Amino acid sequence: MALVNPRDKKDEDRDDETEYSPFFGIEKGAVLQEARVFNDPQLDTRRCQQVITKLLYLLNQGESFTKTEATEVFFATTKLFQSKDIALRRMVYLMIKEITPSADEVIIVTSSLMKDMNSKTDLYRANAIRVLCRIIDGGLLGQIERYLKQAVVDKNPIVASAALVSGIHLLKNNPEIVKRWSNEVQEAVNSKAPLVQFHALALLHQIRQNDRLAVSKLVTSLTRGNVRSPLAQCLLIRYTVQVIHEASGISSSGGERPFYEFLEGCLRHKAEMVIFEAARAITQLEGVTSRELTPAITVLQLFLSSSKPVLRFAAVRTLNKVAMTHPLAVTNCNIDMESLISDQNRSIATLAITTLLKTGNESSVDRLMKQITNFMSDIADEFKITVVEAIRSLCLKFPQKYRTLMNFLSNILREEGGFEYKKAIVDSILILIREIPDAKESGLSHLCEFIEDCEFTYLSTQILHLLGNEGPKTADPSKYIRYIYNRVILENATVRASAVSALAKFGAMVDFLQPRIMVLLRRCLHDNDDEVRDRATLYLQVLGDTKDIAPDGAAAFLSETLNVPLANLEASLKAYEPSEKPFNIAAVSKEAKPLTIAEKKKEKKAQREAAATGAHANGVAPAVSTSSYENLLNAIPEFASIGKLFKSSKPVQLTEEETEYAVNVVKHTYPAHVVFQFNATNTIQEQLLENVEVVMDTSLADEFEEVASIPLKSLPYGSPGQTFVLLAKPEGAVALGKFGNVLKFKVKEVDPASGEPDEEGYEDEYALEDVEVTIGDYIQRTSVSNFRNSWEALDPGLEKVDEYGLGPRESLQEAVKAVINTLGMQPVEGTDQVPSNARSHTALLAGTFIGNVPVLARLSFGIDAQKQVAMKLAVRSEDESVSELIQDIIASS
Amino acid sequence: MMGLWDTFLNWIRSLFFKQEMELSLIGLQNAGKTSLVNVIATGGYDEDMIPTVGFNMRKVTKGNVTIKLWDLGGQPRFRSMWERYCRGVSAIVYVVDAADHDNIKTSKDELYELLSKPSLAGIPLLVLGNKNDKPEALSTGALIDALDLRLITDREIACYTISCKNATNIDITLDWLVKHSKSKS
Repeated sequence: MALVNPRDKKDEDRDDETEYSPFFGIEKGAVLQEARVFNDPQLDTRRCQQVITKLLYLLNQGESFTKTEATEVFFATTKLFQSKDIALRRMVYLMIKEITPSADEVIIVTSSLMKDMNSKTDLYRANAIRVLCRIIDGGLLGQIERYLKQAVVDKNPIVASAALVSGIHLLKNNPEIVKRWSNEVQEAVNSKAPLVQFHALALLHQIRQNDRLAVSKLVTSLTRGNVRSPLAQCLLIRYTVQVIHEASGISSSGGERPFYEFLEGCLRHKAEMVIFEAARAITQLEGVTSRELTPAITVLQLFLSSSKPVLRFAAVRTLNKVAMTHPLAVTNCNIDMESLISDQNRSIATLAITTLLKTGNESSVDRLMKQITNFMSDIADEFKITVVEAIRSLCLKFPQKYRTLMNFLSNILREEGGFEYKKAIVDSILILIREIPDAKESGLSHLCEFIEDCEFTYLSTQILHLLGNEGPKTADPSKYIRYIYNRVILENATVRASAVSALAKFGAMVDFLQPRIMVLLRRCLHDNDDEVRDRATLYLQVLGDTKDIAPDGAAAFLSETLNVPLANLEASLKAYEPSEKPFNIAAVSKEAKPLTIAEKKKEKKAQREAAATGAHANGVAPAVSTSSYENLLNAIPEFASIGKLFKSSKPVQLTEEETEYAVNVVKHTYPAHVVFQFNATNTIQEQLLENVEVVMDTSLADEFEEVASIPLKSLPYGSPGQTFVLLAKPEGAVALGKFGNVLKFKVKEVDPASGEPDEEGYEDEYALEDVEVTIGDYIQRTSVSNFRNSWEALDPGLEKVDEYGLGPRESLQEAVKAVINTLGMQPVEGTDQVPSNARSHTALLAGTFIGNVPVLARLSFGIDAQKQVAMKLAVRSEDESVSELIQDIIASS
Repeated sequence: MMGLWDTFLNWIRSLFFKQEMELSLIGLQNAGKTSLVNVIATGGYDEDMIPTVGFNMRKVTKGNVTIKLWDLGGQPRFRSMWERYCRGVSAIVYVVDAADHDNIKTSKDELYELLSKPSLAGIPLLVLGNKNDKPEALSTGALIDALDLRLITDREIACYTISCKNATNIDITLDWLVKHSKSKS
């Protein structure tokens, strides 16, 4: 948006020039008429050139010619071969290439082009080669091959380049012919003409690209030799990187990296293009060390203050990428990048700011935020979204800084902006509220201010819903009421309805507010919208009749979601006929219907998006999935009395992939129970499974006792179903054990033609892998806003420290990930990411042990040259035995 | 400079003589069209020829007349495109291999197919039976009968047998063509 103004200005400047444009307002019809001069017996070559120029202009403007028009123009153009005028012939070549008539027509010019290819005029030769190679088929190519081969080593660079470029195109369809030119192409690589060298190198590489050894040889010989053309040098750098990449898999990392010296040498090349290419190549090397990185960063830093925008852009873009993996290496450039924030080019400015946000340390956050504030007002929304996202991740990295960042977000929230932008801000605030407990109150009040003047219904309802859920739990719930009730007075019906629901939640959960809420709700009874009135009536009933319902009844009714799938409820309601008998919600089926393919796709997409945002927000996703499990489990009457779900594990596969029946298990931990949820999929189309259940062998785990098993009635092909087993264990105890499992079911054959199952079936069973309940199942992932404070708040006397050798590992990152997964704790402050060349790393983890005991762990890793990883694990918690248990997890695995 | 001088000369020439003609050479493949062009242009003959893929464009000056020759490929895939290069020419030259009895019928069909095009109405036609040096070659009369040339009454038509190899009857062919260039422009 901000770009519009400068462009307008330029357009004004250009107005005078447009009048002189020879193409101003030309029309296809008129030009096609003009093209008839091609058929004149006495050719006017100048006129013909002009007409072709116009035709080419039209084609390049995206004007399309019908088949007849194209054919007519093409054949008329071929008549121009009679002219010996060099300039006109050039236009003819261009025209034939652009108009692309059908293959059976275009062959008509073959003979003429073959003649031109051997003409004495270099320009004819070069262009004829290009056109001919474009239109020729494999059969005719054999006939002209020897001419092309000669042209590759022609002493005229234009001709040689034409033949080489044609070779690149021909390689796609006729590789065996072009491969025979290897010797000639090799000779052309040594040409004195820069362009020929460039094209020859590109072709030679393409010919050999599938032969790793040949590419390596090529690179080795050329990096020693003298490549004149900067373009060819850039290509060589790319090929070198490829060779380095492939070689790194084979040789061990000891010693100097091959070809690094060459890349570093290129940093001193006189062409900027080559310097940049080399710098970029170095930054992208796998496992690049900071010593290797330094010279590249230095030249990029010089580019940052270049007068050419393209160099500044290239440099800042590359540094931005480097900052993701090696923030420290980029810190040196921070001063240069700060001056780029005010760069006229907004792309450069945005990249600079986001890079700074990544490299900045805690102390620079305040200063940066001040600068960003000045900068935000004059960039386009899409850039603003990038900045908002960068700030969100910064906030998760430095939770102590939430005040500054939250303030910034709320300030920009108040400014003008489109829906996408506002949504990005609101989403960021929501994530911060969820991740940083301290930020909740201030975040909520910022959002309250925002809805006072929010033009987006979607955002308003989202915020009202959140206020309804979170507001009552805050220290001073009454302050939110005014904001919410204002919505009832001022906004449209959808927002009013959401506001009524939010009010009711306050009424249900906060006793002292209830009478006042009732008054407000009563006022809503006169609303002119049905939905608002209906909601108000309903909530008044619920809140007013608390004597009949259990004290928690109203709160539970309002804050808990329906435990039946909405689609099923809708279907049942449609089927219900008004009668004496009231509608019974318990009769609604709780089994989710198999999703249609379209819905499945949607769900997959949603999951992917959830995964993406989850990665962004550092583990928000697990919380979400736990709550969805909770809904599922609450819907089962047998599990109603076992208390509150503590933790749900990740699904564990119990079968090989691609077997007849795919089964995975999710372990749900409760205070005195464990629920095993077996997700089974039947992959045999000809079978219908009935009465599916898993029989667990508890003989090896004395502390557990089977309480209930809930079989699955039927499991048709392709749609997953669930069966559950409920085990009891001593309350609060950390019971561990291993269980053998067998899947038992009744098989009914299904007639593939009709899809009807047989009446008769037979019993069958299928062995599954063992399930284990580990200590990890008793630890919940939780986040802390300030690890250091929380760590120091716990008694150092209860700390348990031990050291472990983890054996050889592929990389430090892999080791860190494995340990985090084993412990089942939440990495905080982004410490789960290991810089790719690091030799040591410290990861900070937080969690809650069953019985609500917070646990913190500090892991120090080190890796040596033989890739042996050692780890020191320090655990603190209020309960010494818990710390010991955590140590046991590592010791036993 | 040469280009300018040439243009100048051409201009002077066209001013005084205005004798320029455009011809299309067509006929089945291997009838001898490209050979005929070579004989007319340079007088040379080459036994070993490659098939024309598409067309050759040649300009030949004979006396006061400049002849533009569109020598078209005779393979089936080019035949549908002949018509485009025959529009507006001074004369159509149809070359037949008089010694290839098997293909006379095809040659005749292609000729009539071409002449039925409205865009070519009234354009004079010269039919040449090439390769009359071979013993089995048809005579002029036999060729006229074989091609039913007497049925063509809507345009000027002539038929000769020639030999590019021995340069037989090339002179009378040129005479006929030059005569028609005058009538045209």
